[in-house]
Amino acid sequence: MNVLSHPLSAGVHTDYGATFPPKTLVTFWALWAAFWLLMIGVSIEDQLRDPLTRWWEPVLSEGSSALVSTGWMWLAVRVRERYAPYLDKPLIWFASYLHWLPLVFITWITVVYSIRHGVYAAVGRIYEHPTWGFVVVYESFKLTIFTGLWLGILFGIDSYGQWQLQRHRLLQTQKALAQAQLAQLQGQLRPHFLFNALNTVSALMHTDVARADRLVATLGDLLRISLRSSENEMTPLAEELRTLELYAGIMHERFRDRVTLSWQTDQTLLDIPVPALLLQPLLENVFKHGVEPTVTRVRITISVRRESGSLEIVVSNSGSMLAPEHHDGMGFRNCRERLSIIYGDAASLRVRNEDDGVAARVSIPLTGIIQ
Amino acid sequence: MIRVVIADDEAPAREKLERWLVEQPDVDVVGVVEDGLSAAQCIEQLRPDVAFLDIQMPMLSGLQVVGQLELSSAPLIVFVTAFDEHAVKAFDLNAVDYLLKPYDQDRFARTLQRVRERLHGHESGATAVAIGRARAPSCERLLVPDRERLQLIDAASIEWLEADDNYVHVHTPARSYLLRRTLQDLLSQLGEQRFVRIHKSTAVNINSIESLTPLFKGDYEIHLNNGRILRLSRRYREALFVRMGQ
Repeated sequence: MNVLSHPLSAGVHTDYGATFPPKTLVTFWALWAAFWLLMIGVSIEDQLRDPLTRWWEPVLSEGSSALVSTGWMWLAVRVRERYAPYLDKPLIWFASYLHWLPLVFITWITVVYSIRHGVYAAVGRIYEHPTWGFVVVYESFKLTIFTGLWLGILFGIDSYGQWQLQRHRLLQTQKALAQAQLAQLQGQLRPHFLFNALNTVSALMHTDVARADRLVATLGDLLRISLRSSENEMTPLAEELRTLELYAGIMHERFRDRVTLSWQTDQTLLDIPVPALLLQPLLENVFKHGVEPTVTRVRITISVRRESGSLEIVVSNSGSMLAPEHHDGMGFRNCRERLSIIYGDAASLRVRNEDDGVAARVSIPLTGIIQ
Repeated sequence: MIRVVIADDEAPAREKLERWLVEQPDVDVVGVVEDGLSAAQCIEQLRPDVAFLDIQMPMLSGLQVVGQLELSSAPLIVFVTAFDEHAVKAFDLNAVDYLLKPYDQDRFARTLQRVRERLHGHESGATAVAIGRARAPSCERLLVPDRERLQLIDAASIEWLEADDNYVHVHTPARSYLLRRTLQDLLSQLGEQRFVRIHKSTAVNINSIESLTPLFKGDYEIHLNNGRILRLSRRYREALFVRMGQ
């Protein structure tokens, strides 16, 4: 019977490694460094076969390219947080980067060739290369391919990071929901409630068998609903009120002459879907704080009505007031959490002193459920 | 006859227990009440042999009721509770009688049989009182007689206590109350956080002391905030100084 189950059995797993992972960036830069070392190595080996070429010439050639390319890549990595929202739309993401390409061509060719010319001039030689027209076309083509390749790698790494982050958030949300549901179940059918209800049955059995029988059936119905509702998020208001009636029925039997219950229900609202088991903690609170601590007779009112585009459900009791240092208990907190998960800011729960007692007011929008 | 008091805030539970107790040839149910304060009052006035107390009750819990009773004259206590893990643990350890709701006739009969044996052995409810005092913070409030009724006063409002044979005068700014208790017993209930003994027959609330004036031979005069002057005897001097130095 999962009514009494322990929170550990909820099957909620914790996820690790949530933030944009710096570890993957290390991988990226290691890959980058390895690539350039390889390029330099290959070109040294290539040109060493030519006796007229000195060892430093391929190093200068690839080194100058590596230097400027690294500068641009560093900038690209720095802005990736800004472009992260577009990871879901690869075309926009790539376009955001690639529209800088012309600037990359100009700066890259200017700086790289200046370095080469400078160094050659410094050792009293002339750096020879094809015509500028050819250089511009050739290098631009090379840079485009090269940029596309490395952006692809960056895209892969960032997409993976974002996927991990989203998965983590999703798990967190699911966990919060599962905990809320579990707490709801435990809060509503606490062992104390069950044992006292059973004791009431055991007392009635000796005087009024029919009434004891009815109470057992009511208790059974309530248990059945609470077991089923954990799987079923929303339920028609009529169902939710029926659950409330079952609970109230049992409590009324226990506190017989100490409570009177009255229901004011707008019948046109009964088909509206509401979160299952949302209201029960409110009624339970009334019994716990309004009825149990006092010997005076308490009037409990449950009213359901339409209030300017919202469904308003009020559970109120006479005779007791909120303590000045009142804090929301677990029941209220869970109720609020569930409302905000389902409806965002559109729904609310307010608890305050009203007239001669306390009223808990749930307001749910009649249209537009935010999922 | 075994004189019994029943206290439970739920009518069906009360009726069940009363019916079963009335069926016993050697039991006389002398009081049935619905809340903790009435239970304490009933026990005080009717001096029953046994009290069947629910734990969760309005005004005072069953444990609080028991914590307010005088150690030496407390009746045997049977706690009747639906679910209170901690309380039940305490019961198991100290062999205080209890009935877990829901209970059947067998368990009820067993508990009653044990009560009969305890009464036969002239046991009192002292163990239960000790548990009640330890488990329920009864040091914060004190049950005092006010004409025909009992009422709860804030322990912090008590300025000093004055023993008078088997009675204690409890002095508060508003008025004094007379309790049929020993000073020792009352101090053990109120705890040593707040009250300290200054004489064989007086104890004072540490917070109501304004100043001390030395007299001859190591005695002191204690001046209270309300202007009253009490005598601190040498015997209790060190203990008070240690407490005030803290």
